[in-house]
Amino acid sequence: MSVTTPNGFNLDDSGRRVVVDPVTRIEGHLRIEVNVDNDNVIRNAVSTGTMWRGLELILRGRDPRDAWAFTQRICGVCTGTHALTSVRAVEDALGIQIPENANSIRNIMQLTLQVHDHLVHFYHLHALDWVDVVSALKADPKATSELAQSISNWPLSSPGYFRDLQGRLKKFVESGQLGPFKNAYWGHPAYKLPPEANLMAVAHYLEALDFQREIVKIHTIYGGKNPHPNWLVGGAPCSINLDGTGAVGAVNMERMNLVSSIIDRCIEFTEQVYIPDLLAIASFYKGWLHGGGLSSTNVMSYGDIPEHANDYSAGNLLLPRGAIINGNLAEVHEVDLRDAEQVQEYVTHSWYKYADESRGLHPWDGVTEPNFELGPKAKGSKKHIENLDEGAKYSWLKAPRWRGHAMEVGPLSRYIIGYAQGNPEFKEPVEAVLRHLDVPVTALFSTLGRTAARGLECQWAAHKLKYFQQKLMANVKAGDSSTANTEKWEPSSWPRDVKGVGFTEAPRGALAHWVHIKDTKIANYQCVVPTTWNGSPRDPAGNIGAFEASLMDTPMADPHQPLEILRTIHSFDPCLACSTH
Amino acid sequence: MKETFYEVMRRQGITRRSFLKYCSLTAASLGMGPGQAMQIAQALETKERVPVIWLHGLECTCCTESFIRAGHPLAKDVILSMISLDYDDTIMAAAGHQAEEILKETREKYDGRYILAVEGNPPLADDGVYCIPGGEPFVDKLKYMAAGAKAIISWGSCASWGCVQAAKPNPTQATPVHKVIRDKPVIKVPGCPPIAEVMTGVITYIVAFDRLPELDRQGRPKMFYSQRIHDKCYRRPHFDAGQFVEQWDDENARKGYCLYKMGCKGPTTYNACSTVRWNEGVSFPIQSGHGCIGCSEDGFWDKGSFYDRLTNIQQFGAESNADKVGMAAAGVVGTAIAAHAAVSVIKRLSTTSSGSVPEKSDQA
Amino acid sequence: MSEQAATAAHRTSIYVYEAPVRLWHWINAAAILVLALTGWFIGSPPPSVPGEASDSFLFGYIRFAHFAAAYIFAVGFLARIYWAIVGNHHAKQIFYLPLWSPKWWKEVLFEMRWYAFIEKAPMKYEGHNPLAHLTMFLLFTLGSIFMLLTGFAMYAEGAGMDSWQHAWFGWVISLFGDNTQNLHTWHHVGMWVFVVFVMVHVYAAIREDIMSRQSIISTMISGERMFKDDRP
Ligand code: HEM
Ligand code: HEM
Ligand code: NFV
Ligand code: SF4
Ligand code: SF4
Ligand code: F3S
Ligand SMILES: [Mg+2]
Repeated sequence: MSVTTPNGFNLDDSGRRVVVDPVTRIEGHLRIEVNVDNDNVIRNAVSTGTMWRGLELILRGRDPRDAWAFTQRICGVCTGTHALTSVRAVEDALGIQIPENANSIRNIMQLTLQVHDHLVHFYHLHALDWVDVVSALKADPKATSELAQSISNWPLSSPGYFRDLQGRLKKFVESGQLGPFKNAYWGHPAYKLPPEANLMAVAHYLEALDFQREIVKIHTIYGGKNPHPNWLVGGAPCSINLDGTGAVGAVNMERMNLVSSIIDRCIEFTEQVYIPDLLAIASFYKGWLHGGGLSSTNVMSYGDIPEHANDYSAGNLLLPRGAIINGNLAEVHEVDLRDAEQVQEYVTHSWYKYADESRGLHPWDGVTEPNFELGPKAKGSKKHIENLDEGAKYSWLKAPRWRGHAMEVGPLSRYIIGYAQGNPEFKEPVEAVLRHLDVPVTALFSTLGRTAARGLECQWAAHKLKYFQQKLMANVKAGDSSTANTEKWEPSSWPRDVKGVGFTEAPRGALAHWVHIKDTKIANYQCVVPTTWNGSPRDPAGNIGAFEASLMDTPMADPHQPLEILRTIHSFDPCLACSTH
Repeated sequence: MKETFYEVMRRQGITRRSFLKYCSLTAASLGMGPGQAMQIAQALETKERVPVIWLHGLECTCCTESFIRAGHPLAKDVILSMISLDYDDTIMAAAGHQAEEILKETREKYDGRYILAVEGNPPLADDGVYCIPGGEPFVDKLKYMAAGAKAIISWGSCASWGCVQAAKPNPTQATPVHKVIRDKPVIKVPGCPPIAEVMTGVITYIVAFDRLPELDRQGRPKMFYSQRIHDKCYRRPHFDAGQFVEQWDDENARKGYCLYKMGCKGPTTYNACSTVRWNEGVSFPIQSGHGCIGCSEDGFWDKGSFYDRLTNIQQFGAESNADKVGMAAAGVVGTAIAAHAAVSVIKRLSTTSSGSVPEKSDQA
Repeated sequence: MSEQAATAAHRTSIYVYEAPVRLWHWINAAAILVLALTGWFIGSPPPSVPGEASDSFLFGYIRFAHFAAAYIFAVGFLARIYWAIVGNHHAKQIFYLPLWSPKWWKEVLFEMRWYAFIEKAPMKYEGHNPLAHLTMFLLFTLGSIFMLLTGFAMYAEGAGMDSWQHAWFGWVISLFGDNTQNLHTWHHVGMWVFVVFVMVHVYAAIREDIMSRQSIISTMISGERMFKDDRP
């Protein structure tokens, strides 16, 4: 049967059903079902979150000052972004102002996450969709060295370096114990890189695995550990004491120097390894422009990285804010998270219950009540699901909509909005990449565009890290070393019944938490998360979500080996623990 | 990349001589003679890497994230050279049925010889529908893979205790691994997440010494969990001196005083943070100014605010701590005593004055 | 008990609390006073001390006093148990309750009525009256065991897993759900049980000294129970 969705996709579920479960190299548990036609082209796509933890229910009745720790455990991959969102929501509700230094430290924490998460995503979660590890065995180390040196000054690029690596790779493969590379899609026709590029990518896979450990040490300094650093309502938990008595017990000169040196290395690695690799790999795949989905029509971002403390208006945010609908890049709509008509969540196709499921609920009035049931057309049983029925409830993700539209969020959305707003920080790098690859701007709306935007954002974030670290130093130099405001620390100083909303741009996109505090306790807490937007199931009007849309019309070489599906879904960097929470 | 244990040790600067010495020490500690030391050396030089199956239930993947931060040994050396990480959905290349086949194959080919590492936990409510990777309740997959495992490692507070999703009211009935798998040795490595080098330390210990680490009463490796944060906290002198942070970012905070009054749970938390520290020794929560929240302890989410020194008593409702309950009780009793004393005095005076002398006051 | 009371009727004084019991009572009272005071400060520390950490050991001393008093309390309690075995029959009273005796229950109710001003005159007892007996057993004897177990379990944490304290009392930790935060909380509640006990106990001692038919406070000093009348 064939239908056209209100957001313009022709769904046809008559072809062969293909299931990918688990989708690996993501966070959490995701299932994808598609129907392919006789030419193995995807004509129907179904995205299902297969886990739910109930954090929104667990948060009820708790002390709002503790909420950051709970919400931070929504996800260990985008660690910190929920915590930041949470303290912002609570501060918004209680009217708490944070010191300037706390704003800088929080920005540094958030940007560190962006750099880390994007880098790990590209090399360790996404690269194997483009890179054939086994083909690297056929590479000529000398040619690999030439390739590497032609694209970057990165010092680890001698023929001997690649020969040594290849030798170890060979022994590894010959051992027969392939570990994480077992049963994969090596030799799949969708792989297009020459052996040399593959070998170079494998080298950088390993180098990035080593380097990502360094990045997070910034979290360790300001937050005490990573994953899951510590946060504080009213500021940052670390005190600054540059040169006074007992300075070794606080953020001091040595700590500042460590942060600065890590930032420099972030910039270096991003610019000499990540971006060159990205461009090199993209140049071999620029003919594969599938996976655009909603990116060419509906994208949204809330904005983040406030220049000054306590001002969350669009003008003060360094990451763009706004919504584009129906592909009209000429108009960027203002997004108001307090407006009951804008962000709403639906559950008609989600395993939850509302009193009236034809309507969406704004998160301040949000309800989370689990209700698992398989639709009449589902195959198998509750304990052994073969096929889901997308006509009924079919996912643990709710379906968030902005003014009724399914939206895509994430680095690509941020770059499209920044581009549409004419912000040179976003527009110029995008144009440079398009020029470099010699592709039209429409190439942006694709799987590859998503992957490229993430790389550009990683570079942007590394530079902004430097900016805020310097800003922090300058402010301390000017005599302000305050990091926390404790005026409203005591619950007795709080208003009796208040609501607040906090937002960030998480690595995967727009994130917000809505909190209702009553009698000093959390009365309701609702999170609407980037992957909830992107991975969303259908809504009552029949709009499909961004994952689903992105898979439409993609040809598969061999539906049995779902490399194309993985490639496109990975380009969103899905996080299912986040999405369902 | 494929290296034997010996090669990895060599690369980390260990000479052949000290490698052999290590082997004879291992042999001695296992009660073997010197002849067997050579055998161990040979085995480590050539032996097949131990297959590890790493399953994810309800969790946040921060245990995996922590693991890849390991600096000594490097996570890549553990994954590629010391063990064979044949299944871990966060990093494995295969997906869907190609991934699931590995589970079946491991059970058949390595029965009784692989290690099952579990991150997160199974939810038991409503037939397990809150976690259904592969279209089946996670608990079934867990039991299936546990049945053939040599031992189980419970990564993090999720697998060890239940952690955040098991916090009240635990809507999914998330249940720690040892409560579901009762017939296999379970090594708990709690923490939210555990420290990277603690994780690799446990794995490499098992591989290098070919035995499970000594566990404490609660099933945690003693080498990392036998002391509290507080026992080795570098702020301890301030605790003993009576020097505390009284308010966030006050003068005392800037001097690095003890965080006890800010609710630090170091005195009740068993973990290696104050010694091993985090991210290759860069810092740990207390060093960066926030108290320990007790993240490696059973049920640490449900003890009241992380900032309260005196934490909640569940039995008396969420609002009470020991002093509130105690003062209320003492207040009631004190008032009752005062009233009782007053009545006693009035009674005594009135009965004496009314002239009807009671027996007891005859000789008063 | 009324047999005792009956025999006592013909005498004005009887030796009840032997010297070790009296000595123990006052040492024990002092130890508990120290324990409660230092315990309170362990829960809610006094304002910070200025200066170098190495110059002061205030919190260390507070805790040291707590542990020293705890050992006195513990040794005293063991000695008291020993005396319950070798001492006179009054020495055994606080370690058991005659739950099987309907007469005892009746007299508990009687004492309650006396305290509720319903009964006009109290009965005479050589040892503790049944209500006092009940309170002492429940709040003091069981309370002491509870404080000793929880206290030493916490002490074992500091002494380490290889200590004898851990070997003997480590199991207590598991009773409290494996997170010793619970242990602290319940030990702290225990302090309030003692505070309440002492309040009631001291009030009752003074009141009974005045209103009952026998000596009370001086008995815990001299050991002699003096009766104020000859009637049964
Ligand atoms: C009537 C007897 C006792 C009273 C009233 C008492 C009272 C207290 C109180 C109120 C605390 C503070 C708890 C907290 O908030 O964390 C405490 C802590 C403690 N008590 Fe006791 N206690 C008594 C007996 C004992 C005994 C017999 C021991 C055995 C050694 C003991 C050992 C401890 C320990 C180890 C701590 C924890 C100290 C720390 O965390 O630094 N207590 N006590
Ligand atoms: C921490 C404080 C105290 C505790 C824990 C305590 C505990 C006890 C206990 C357990 C007994 C029973 C002795 C036995 O049968 O072996 C007792 C008896 C007694 N206590 Fe205390 N006591 C305390 C303080 C005091 C004080 C301050 C007084 C004086 C005002 C007092 C007066 C008495 C008297 C008079 C008796 C004998 C009661 C009787 O004759 O039935 N006590 N006490
Ligand atoms: N989706 C998502 Fe997150 C992110 N980025 C958070 O909000 O990953 Ni776990
Ligand atoms: S133990 Fe904590 S950190 Fe690890 S997966 Fe669970 S929630 Fe995440
Ligand atoms: S900061 Fe925490 S762990 Fe350290 S001494 Fe103080 S109470 Fe103990
Ligand atoms: S909060 Fe956790 S990380 Fe360590 S210091 Fe405490 S156990
Ligand atoms: Mg939600």
